[in-house]
Amino acid sequence: MAEKSPVKEAASSESIPISNSNQLKPSPQFPSKFSSQTAPNSEVPSTPTSRPPSADADVVYVPSYSRWFSWDKIDSCESRFLPEFFDGRSASKGPGLYIYYRNSIIKLFRVNPSRKITFTDVRKTLVGDVGSIRRVFDFLDHWGLINYSASSALSKPSKDTGSYIKSSDSPSVESPSSAAPTSKHSSNSRRICGACKSLCTIACFVCDKYDSTLCARCYVRGNFRVGLSNADFRRVEITDEAKADWSEKETLLLLEAIMHYGDDWKKVAQHVGGRTDKDCVAHFVKLPFGEEYLRHPLSNDDESGFETNKRMCLTPLADASNPIMAQAAFLSALAGVEIAEAAAQAAVSVLSQVDGITASRVGIGSLERNSKRESEISSNGDTNQNALERAAYADANSLLDKEELDIERAITGITEVQMKEIQDKFLRFEEMDLQTEKERQQLESMKNLLFIDQLNLSFRRNYT
Amino acid sequence: MKSPASASWKAPLKFRMPTAENLIPIRLDIEVDGQRYKDAFTWNPYDPDSEVVMFAKRTVKDLKLAPGFLPQIVQSIQSQLATFRSYEGQDMYVGDKIIPIKLDLQVNHTVIRDQFLWDLNNFDSDPEEFARTLCKDLGIEDPEVGPAVAFAIREQLYEIAIQNVTSARENRISKKGRRAAEHFTPSKASGAALDLMKLFSFRSSVVRKRKEWDYYKPVLDLLSNEEVDALEAKEERSGR
Repeated sequence: MAEKSPVKEAASSESIPISNSNQLKPSPQFPSKFSSQTAPNSEVPSTPTSRPPSADADVVYVPSYSRWFSWDKIDSCESRFLPEFFDGRSASKGPGLYIYYRNSIIKLFRVNPSRKITFTDVRKTLVGDVGSIRRVFDFLDHWGLINYSASSALSKPSKDTGSYIKSSDSPSVESPSSAAPTSKHSSNSRRICGACKSLCTIACFVCDKYDSTLCARCYVRGNFRVGLSNADFRRVEITDEAKADWSEKETLLLLEAIMHYGDDWKKVAQHVGGRTDKDCVAHFVKLPFGEEYLRHPLSNDDESGFETNKRMCLTPLADASNPIMAQAAFLSALAGVEIAEAAAQAAVSVLSQVDGITASRVGIGSLERNSKRESEISSNGDTNQNALERAAYADANSLLDKEELDIERAITGITEVQMKEIQDKFLRFEEMDLQTEKERQQLESMKNLLFIDQLNLSFRRNYT
Repeated sequence: MKSPASASWKAPLKFRMPTAENLIPIRLDIEVDGQRYKDAFTWNPYDPDSEVVMFAKRTVKDLKLAPGFLPQIVQSIQSQLATFRSYEGQDMYVGDKIIPIKLDLQVNHTVIRDQFLWDLNNFDSDPEEFARTLCKDLGIEDPEVGPAVAFAIREQLYEIAIQNVTSARENRISKKGRRAAEHFTPSKASGAALDLMKLFSFRSSVVRKRKEWDYYKPVLDLLSNEEVDALEAKEERSGR
C-alpha cells in the first residue's frame, strides 16, 4: 500500500486550480486531466509552509499531501484509515455510505470555506450513527480536506494523531505541525525541502517571494504553489554553502589568482588553498562581477534571462509520466544549464556521427554493387569523377533505403490497425450474441413463471 | 382453501435492534444553569467508551455550552447505553409483525407527518436509508430533517423491541410455556400490530382502501418564523 501513494503523487502532481467560473488560472504547469464533476471549486497544490497569497473566495486550498482526493473515487489511504466501511461486515455500511458522508461533509465545509466547520454541525445534518460520522470527520480534518486554512496549518495536531499513524504515509500527516519549525530552519545552511521534507543535498531551489525551499526533485515535478513559476526560483548550490561560505580572504585570493593565471583553474585552486578547482570555478561564476574579469560579452541580464528561458523550457521535460524524461530533467536541473546544454549537444553530434557511419556503411555496401556495374561499363574512369559519383550514389541509395523503410513501416502500421478493427468487431458481435442469448433465456423463464401463475389461478378457481 | 390461522412461532433471538446496523437512539435533555440542551442522535453501542467522553467534549466545545454540561452529557449517554446493554443478553420473540410507524416531527422550519408500515422481522432494514430517501423524494432542503426522521424511526423500533423483551420475560415468569407463544401475537402489548394472515389473505386485497390513503401519505409543512416561535413558546409552557 505504501508504494502506491508516491506513484499517485507523481501522477497527479500537475493538478490545476479551477475557480468557480471554470476558467483556467494561468499556471506554470501544463494542465492534466482533472475532472471535477460536482464541485465548481477544486484543489490547488500548496506546500504547508506557505500561506495562500490572497483569500480568493472561489478557490479552495488543499494541502499537497491530499492531492489524491476526488469526488467519485476512493483512495487506498481512505480505505486504510477507515476500514469499517470497506470490510463488508455490514451490508448497509459500505463504500457508498462513506462517499455520501465524505462528500456531504466537504460540500458543507465549502459552502463557507473561511469558517471552520464543527463536528456538531456535520453530525446534525447527516443521517447515520455519530461514531462513524466522527471518524470520517476526523479523517478529513487531518488530511486537510476540511478546515484547512493558513491558521490551522500551523497548529499542532491533536492527540488522536497517534491512532492514525500506521504507515509510511505518516510524515505527511504530521507536516502541518512540522511546517512551522522547518520554515525557520530555511535560513540555516541545512536546507529542508518544503514539499517533500527531504534534506536538500546537491542543489535546491529557493523562492524569495514566499520564502520556500524546494529540493531539485520537487522543483522538477512542479511541486510548488500556484502563484509561482519556474522563474521565481533561483538555484542554490548546497555543497558550496554547506562547506562554509567563502571568506573575504579567500575571495580576494581567488580574484588575484584569476588575474594571474586566467583560465588555469588548477593553479587558481592552489593559490587559494583549501578549495578544489571546481569550487573556485563555481564560486567565481557566482560572484556578481565575475563577468568583468572574464571579459565576457554576456551581461548578467542576458544570462539570467537565458536561464529563465531554460527553466520555462524545463516544464515540458518534467512530465512525470515519462520517467526517463523526468530523470533527464532532474539531472539537468542538478547539473546546471551550461553543462546540460553541452552534454546534449555532444550527445546529438555523436548520434549524428553514428548515423553517418551506418549510412555510409550502407552506402558502401550498395556502392560496391554500383562500382562493379561501373567497372563493367567503363574500365577507365577519372578517379575524381568516380569518387564523386560514388559519393552521390551512396547518398542517393541511403535516402532511398530510408524511404523504403518508412513506407514499410507505414504499411505495417495500417495493416495492424485494420486487423485491430476487425478483431474489435468480432468481439462486439460475440458480446451481442451473448446478450441476445441471455435475453432469450430470461424470456423463457418469465414464460414459465407466467404459466405457473396461470396454473395456480385455475386451481383456486376450481376449488372455490 | 383455508390456510391455518396460527401464528408462526419463531425461535427466540437475542435482543437487538431489528435493523441492519445495531445502532441505538440516544436522547439528551439536559438543563444546567438555565441553559437547555436538547438533542437526539444515533449511537453505535459497539464504539469504545472513550468515544462517549470525546463526543461529549466536542459537543460542548462546538455548541459553546457551559462546562457543567460535560459530566451530565456523559452520564446520560452512558446510562442509556447501559440500559441497552442490560437488554442485550435477553431473548426476545418476534412473530410476523408489521407495525405502523408514525412520524410527527418538527425540525426547524419543517413539519413532517407520516405513517407507514414497517416489518419488524426484517433485520436488514435500514432507517437511515429510509430517511435519506424520504428527504430526497420530498425535496426537503433542511439537512437536519433526515437524521431526525431516522432517529424517530429507530426510537419507535427500540421501544417495540424492548416491549418484546419485557413481555417475553413476563411470559416466561408466568410459566405459560409453549402455549404462550401461540397466544403471543394477539396478546402483544402494542395492539396496533397487524396480523399478516388477516391482512394479506386472499379475501382481502393487498391494495389499500381509499379511505386509508390519507393516513398513509406523508404530509410536509413549511412553517414561517412566527409559527416556529409560537410552537416553541407553547412547548415551553407545556414543559413547565
